[in-house]
Amino acid sequence: MFTLSLSTLRDRRQLFAGALVAIALGVALVQASLHVLTSVSDPVIPAGLSAAERDEMREGFVGASVVMGLQAPLVVFLAVFVVGSTCSFAVAQRRRDLALLRLLGAGRGQTRRLLVTESLVLGAAGALCGAPLGVVMTWIQTRVLEQVGFVPAGFQPVYWNWGAVLAAGATGAGIALLGSWNAARRAGRVRPLEAMADTGAAARVMTPGRWCAGVLSLALSALLVAGGQAADPIGAITIAMALSVVGAVALSALSPLVVPLVARLFGLVFRRSLLGGLAEANIRDGARRNASVAAPLITLVALVLGLSGALGVLARSIGVEQERLTRGDLVVTSADGASAARLAGIPGVADVSSQLAVPASVTAKVRKDGARAARPHTFDERVVAVDGAAYERARTLAPTSGSLADLHGDAVAVGPAVSAEGFSTPRVGDTVTVTADGVERVLRVVAVLPETLEIGDEFLIAKDALPTALLAAAPGESIVTVAPGASVDEVAERIRAAGIGDTESVAQWAQGKADVQQDGNDKVFAVLLGLAGVYALIGVINALVIATAERRTEFAVARLSGLERRQVVRMAVVEACAVATIGLVLGGLVAAAGMAGMAKSTAAATGTAIVVVPWGTLAATVLGAFAVTVGAAVLTARAATRERPAALAAART
Amino acid sequence: MGQNLLDRAEGSQAARAGDVALEMRQVVRSYGTGEARVRALDGVDLTLDAGSWVAVMGPSGSGKSTLLQCAAGLDGVDAGQVLLFGEDLAGADDRRLTRLRRDTVGFVFQNFNLVASLTAEQNVALPLRLAGRRVGGAEVRRALDGVGLGDRGRHRPRELSGGQQQRVAIARAMVAKPKVLFADEPTGALDSTSARVVLSLLRRMVDGAGQTIAMVTHDPIAAAAADAVVFLADGRVVDRMERPSARRVAERLASLEV
Ligand SMILES: Nc1ncnc2c1ncn2[C@@H]1O[C@H](COP(=O)(O)OP(=O)(O)O)[C@@H](O)[C@H]1O
Ligand SMILES: [Mg+2]
Repeated sequence: MFTLSLSTLRDRRQLFAGALVAIALGVALVQASLHVLTSVSDPVIPAGLSAAERDEMREGFVGASVVMGLQAPLVVFLAVFVVGSTCSFAVAQRRRDLALLRLLGAGRGQTRRLLVTESLVLGAAGALCGAPLGVVMTWIQTRVLEQVGFVPAGFQPVYWNWGAVLAAGATGAGIALLGSWNAARRAGRVRPLEAMADTGAAARVMTPGRWCAGVLSLALSALLVAGGQAADPIGAITIAMALSVVGAVALSALSPLVVPLVARLFGLVFRRSLLGGLAEANIRDGARRNASVAAPLITLVALVLGLSGALGVLARSIGVEQERLTRGDLVVTSADGASAARLAGIPGVADVSSQLAVPASVTAKVRKDGARAARPHTFDERVVAVDGAAYERARTLAPTSGSLADLHGDAVAVGPAVSAEGFSTPRVGDTVTVTADGVERVLRVVAVLPETLEIGDEFLIAKDALPTALLAAAPGESIVTVAPGASVDEVAERIRAAGIGDTESVAQWAQGKADVQQDGNDKVFAVLLGLAGVYALIGVINALVIATAERRTEFAVARLSGLERRQVVRMAVVEACAVATIGLVLGGLVAAAGMAGMAKSTAAATGTAIVVVPWGTLAATVLGAFAVTVGAAVLTARAATRERPAALAAART
Repeated sequence: MGQNLLDRAEGSQAARAGDVALEMRQVVRSYGTGEARVRALDGVDLTLDAGSWVAVMGPSGSGKSTLLQCAAGLDGVDAGQVLLFGEDLAGADDRRLTRLRRDTVGFVFQNFNLVASLTAEQNVALPLRLAGRRVGGAEVRRALDGVGLGDRGRHRPRELSGGQQQRVAIARAMVAKPKVLFADEPTGALDSTSARVVLSLLRRMVDGAGQTIAMVTHDPIAAAAADAVVFLADGRVVDRMERPSARRVAERLASLEV
């Protein structure tokens, strides 16, 4: 039996190489994720930095570990999905071989054992190749994090942790085994008769298992779309990711059902060409094959479009929310409080609410993550100095308790950021200690503001509680309301002329907030889908190579019956286009469902249903999908037609 | 006791003359449903004596391949009985059918069905190894020698001509010493010289080792090499000819095809 495996290995290099590549890369990627995740979760912060630098670095690491915490399960899923589908596809491709073995007296158990042994060997080989590759991947993933600024330049991750290496290897080998286990079970039922059919009787594509996986995941996706209303960004990204993943599994499982439709479509498009009918028949006949190639593509498209759409909605809704919460005509950004104070004197200005960022630390007793007792925690970024009454006029965000009208004297309001950062908020009447310019003061909490989509400020302090010199030097933003009858443009011009600062409309300012968020989102996207996306893409190419390599005989017969080599290659290209179409349409469908869910939840949160179609990403995805599948199809079809057709067609099986 | 052992040893090689190797009674096998329903076998009665060679002939689509597949237990039947050495195939589970394929039946096909990745020797040894038997190199080489391919043991199928591939397939069928060999157009893809070699090998299996052969063919010359010819039309046995000659077979076939 072992000879048989070995010689099959020699003869079906592409098949085994494809599975090996999928396993090794999957193992490497999982290993890299685990290494980077543990490295950023427990970073070594170099000594000799200022407190502020250390804080900034620590914050970066926290962001990195949150994103890597999402990336790791995504990578594990992709590895499981790609390895599983590649291995079971590889087994399905050998159906005829297996039938012949059965015909010659192999029992069900023997066929199963053969496949399982093979996948064990393959899984072990993949894990071994994956381990050193994982070191390279760890380096790449760290450079991505460094590039987007999550970790400081020159950050050294852990490159070799036996736990991570073994876990990744076991994942890869285990999934290879599981993937072919199921296929092997089915292969055990291959009827010997199939060896005799000339074309290899088409196996049933929609197996009960496939139906079951498809329908269950579809139901789960529907639940995610309907119920997935996340308030915070990370929650929204998590749900979008989960939906992309589950939806992609569902539609990948059910994709053989749409293959005939797409085949018909291509038949109509290429009606006039000689190859049209042939391609249509081939696409339909190769439903299993085409579904296998489309599966990683569906996942990739769903993830790329779903995530970039979700992140786009997130950024846009922050802009919408900020615009809605702000009552005024202009937002003036000034370099110091002294300039901002001159705003009230500009002709045509009816009202000004300045928010000055003052360097100060606040120590409050708060709880985090459900810890029992509230402990003193120091928020040392900055506080925002406001005039309570003016702030209340310019911002429509109503406190959940207390009143902003009381924000004067020794008073403080708890801003949206405290709860957004996961702390329990102090209650109205509690006291907090504020240290500004070396002076410590105890202030009373008079209001607690609710969480907003934008993280916002931690504490708002009445201006009269802070030293004037500190206020005069603090940079800030001021919301300006123009007097009735005065022209907004003219007032803006006067503010600029007076050298107070930059002015923009509230809408422009809110858009700026959205843009800042989008910048952050792009970084998250790069970290999440950079390597994982490349892996999924390799999965697509892999499946295509396996699929085409197994068609050598079919191509040879087509050429013997009169097709030129060029025509055979073109036929393979048409089929690759059909596969790309299936991947794009189904992946896009998943993303669209996610978008519908988000539109519903943003409508509830901001009053406007926000839909963002990431056109740039969409165009790149469509072009990329066609380019990659067509490129891979041309190369593999050319390779598969290199031999003389007569030799191949004669040596059947 | 000694007699008993001898009996069994002999039984595994060939049944004694006079035994019935295969009996088909009123076998029906149809494909498709509704409008597209085809009765490939429509009440076939057929008896094959052990140690005999029967050719099955008939127009294309008359059910020859289906008959062979049902007789060998590769395909189930809708109605009727298939008895292989007295054992009813209808009730047999996969385990018994697997054992049957290991010990009792062998196959040769028009398109050879060799495993492309294995050498000739490995292909010949495959059924024995699947049956869990130790395979001596000498045994395999003797089988290849027997079909005149002693020097081609290390070649892979694609390096062999069609006739040579078919001889490897026959060596593979011979080495397992099946009691019944089912052959579907074994000479169909061969030139006449190769075909003659293959037919003489089959004759040797019947006369030398006492094996039984059921062979589908559309070539009257090939059919004439058999002991008897059964004619099939529209899924029914319409005629049987003992000690056939090529001319008589061709005439009978022509009358069926109009
Ligand atoms: N797997 C199948 N599915 C549907 N119809 C079949 C199948 N196999 C054979 N048939 C039909 O059964 C009839 C007999 O086929 P077959 O036994 O192959 O004929 P022969 O070998 O004599 O040419 C034909 O009409 C054929 O179309
Ligand atoms: Mg036939």
